[in-house]
Amino acid sequence: MSTYNGVSRRKFLKMSSAVGLAIALGGGLSACGSPSAPTPSATQVGGGATSGGSSPVRLDFWDMVWGPPEYIQTAKDLVKQFNDEHKSIQVNYRSIPWNNWYQTFTTAIGAGTAPDISTGAGYQAVQFYDSGAILPVDEVIEEWRKSGELEDFVPGSVDILKYDGHYVALPWAIDIRIPWYRTDMFEKAGVKEPTNWDELRAALKQLTGNGKYGMVASNDTGGTHYLYFFILNNGGGIFTKDRKLDWMNPRNVEAIKYLSSLVKDGSVSPASAGYSGDDASKAFGRGEAALKIDGPGFDQGFPADTAKKMAILPPIKGPHGDLGTVYWINNIMLYKQTKDPEATMEFLKWWSKNQKPLWTKGHNGQLPARKSFASDPYFKNDPRLSFINDKWVSVGKTVATHAPSIFPQLNAVEGQGVMQTLIQDILQGKDPVESMQKAEPQLKAIMGES
Amino acid sequence: MSTSVTKQEVSTLLSSRRRGRLESLPYLLVLPSLALICLIELYPFVTGFYYSLKSGSLLNTGEFVGLGNYIRLWSMPDFIHALYFSALFAFFAVFGSYLVGLGLALVLARDVPGKGFFRVALLIPWIIPSIVSITSWRWLIQDQHGSVNVFLSWFGLGPYYFLSSEHLAMLSVIVIKIWRSFPFMMVSLIAALQTIDQSLYEAAAIDGAGRWATFRYVTLPHIKTISVVMWILMTIWSVNDFDTPWLLTQGGPSNATENLIVLAYRYTFAGNMVGIGTAIAFTMLVILAVLSILILRYQERED
Repeated sequence: MSTYNGVSRRKFLKMSSAVGLAIALGGGLSACGSPSAPTPSATQVGGGATSGGSSPVRLDFWDMVWGPPEYIQTAKDLVKQFNDEHKSIQVNYRSIPWNNWYQTFTTAIGAGTAPDISTGAGYQAVQFYDSGAILPVDEVIEEWRKSGELEDFVPGSVDILKYDGHYVALPWAIDIRIPWYRTDMFEKAGVKEPTNWDELRAALKQLTGNGKYGMVASNDTGGTHYLYFFILNNGGGIFTKDRKLDWMNPRNVEAIKYLSSLVKDGSVSPASAGYSGDDASKAFGRGEAALKIDGPGFDQGFPADTAKKMAILPPIKGPHGDLGTVYWINNIMLYKQTKDPEATMEFLKWWSKNQKPLWTKGHNGQLPARKSFASDPYFKNDPRLSFINDKWVSVGKTVATHAPSIFPQLNAVEGQGVMQTLIQDILQGKDPVESMQKAEPQLKAIMGES
Repeated sequence: MSTSVTKQEVSTLLSSRRRGRLESLPYLLVLPSLALICLIELYPFVTGFYYSLKSGSLLNTGEFVGLGNYIRLWSMPDFIHALYFSALFAFFAVFGSYLVGLGLALVLARDVPGKGFFRVALLIPWIIPSIVSITSWRWLIQDQHGSVNVFLSWFGLGPYYFLSSEHLAMLSVIVIKIWRSFPFMMVSLIAALQTIDQSLYEAAAIDGAGRWATFRYVTLPHIKTISVVMWILMTIWSVNDFDTPWLLTQGGPSNATENLIVLAYRYTFAGNMVGIGTAIAFTMLVILAVLSILILRYQERED
């Protein structure tokens, strides 16, 4: 017995209680975050495009998965087209999944193996610019301003990406949140499309009953979009023009109180606080909720017979007559690690002008940042897409509102969990003002104002 | 003084060299493993601790802040809550899984019909990959159409939105953790029970001991050592459990089911605050190490 005890003690003191655990915890995390200064290592082979050498410049282009499988193939075909047209520049296309995208990029930048150019999440360019990894595209913007090319972009979309006096990326797509509803449930309940908040509240109440609910939300980042939707719809905003936190302003409080009142009415599915975005979408698809706020490609995720029963509400007026929703200007950015900025910018310009097939063939789930693309029959002949382009894009606002452009802290504001906790509080029926007050110190900490 | 070396002297010299080689051989054999351990375990450990002393992000090392991150933790409400929930989660996971495991082990250690089948079947919660079992649990309990609510509705109960309220979510995470963990307790305890000499039970019966007295004075002392080991292991595994709260609730709603490891993940990867994230991880390490040592010392004193 004593021998057994002795062995077990030693084993556990050695194995379990200290070193093994320390390594599992501390080491596991530390291994993932190995910050170091970026070092140049772009994949240039032979002479550059401008050097007149025989070997082509090789560029790495990392593109996020922005649509169904045909999107990737279309993007590959486009890259091939570029390569065929530009013998001195050869681009390697790599599709990057959204899972762990941030780690993928940070690891690559830290290891000096960043791509020359990439698409990315809404705040990726400003975040990485702040870390010294992004090459501004000022000269492209200046060139296009002179040539008039810049006029083709949705108003404001280019300047939203101006940070620290530099254009850190070029806009290419718009992700926007819009209220989708089920026409069958509206018809059955005899509800007309609401045009203002009072009507929306009444409609959701009328749609609720027999185990079905007016609206469904989720507890993840998709759920936080409801917060931004109502805040921006009410003419509110989380920031001042000079990027200071302005969280508890009356418009924001009014919007969150309104959302909370919908929950207290019983019009929001009680399962929402436990639903992921996918769960909420499935509940909507099963006809358990009549309304869900989601992106432009939301209907693509449903069978045709369900998608037929879906429609989009027109912009709803807030109590002060404001219109609005949240949108993100997705961007394409260059990395400082590139060895041939000139060739990379050439590809950037070509890609920006020629990427329309990403929608027409690749069925990209977002909207184009170029007006000329949006006027293509692909969009014009699709009643939903044209409706979003015509009615919603013009009232879109960023989470940075009322600041004129995006900034790095927005990533933590959206991603760190403060807003997720807030929407979960609201969906559980907690006091909205107390919940907002609880979030304020964390938002201040993110902004460095505490 | 002669410079010539005799055969015997050469032989002695060689044998002493051989002896030296033989003595150093174990160390040489261990060296590659040791180097590998240092590379893949010690280096990340030391580096992780170094990061916890800095205010860095995933891209920048940041400034040296000393113990600033560790001090800051204690003024963070989410850290205090995560600490509380980790303790609660670990306590009930250990207690619950041990009770269930012990009960089943006592039954299955006997000659009961279908013993072999049940021993294997009851291992399923332990064997199934966590992503499969926890996702299945989500479907079972998340809304009014989940099987659990359908079942409850037969008795006029519910619906209960188990993942949509803080208390029910905490309860759900703990119950599912117990469900996932009891097979380990059961198997270990069955093994321990089988080592008890049957003559002790016969002697207890002759002495007129009842079931409880037999369990209290014969069974329990013999499974005590393995039980302590399992409690420590299960405590460590529960505090370190990322899968159960993350896959079930992602730490919600309103951070109710956020334990320390989920919090460390959130700060490190979602919040890009590597210093705070690693400080949380190392604080966990210290707490667990102290806890383990205390339990082991207690057991030593009892022995």
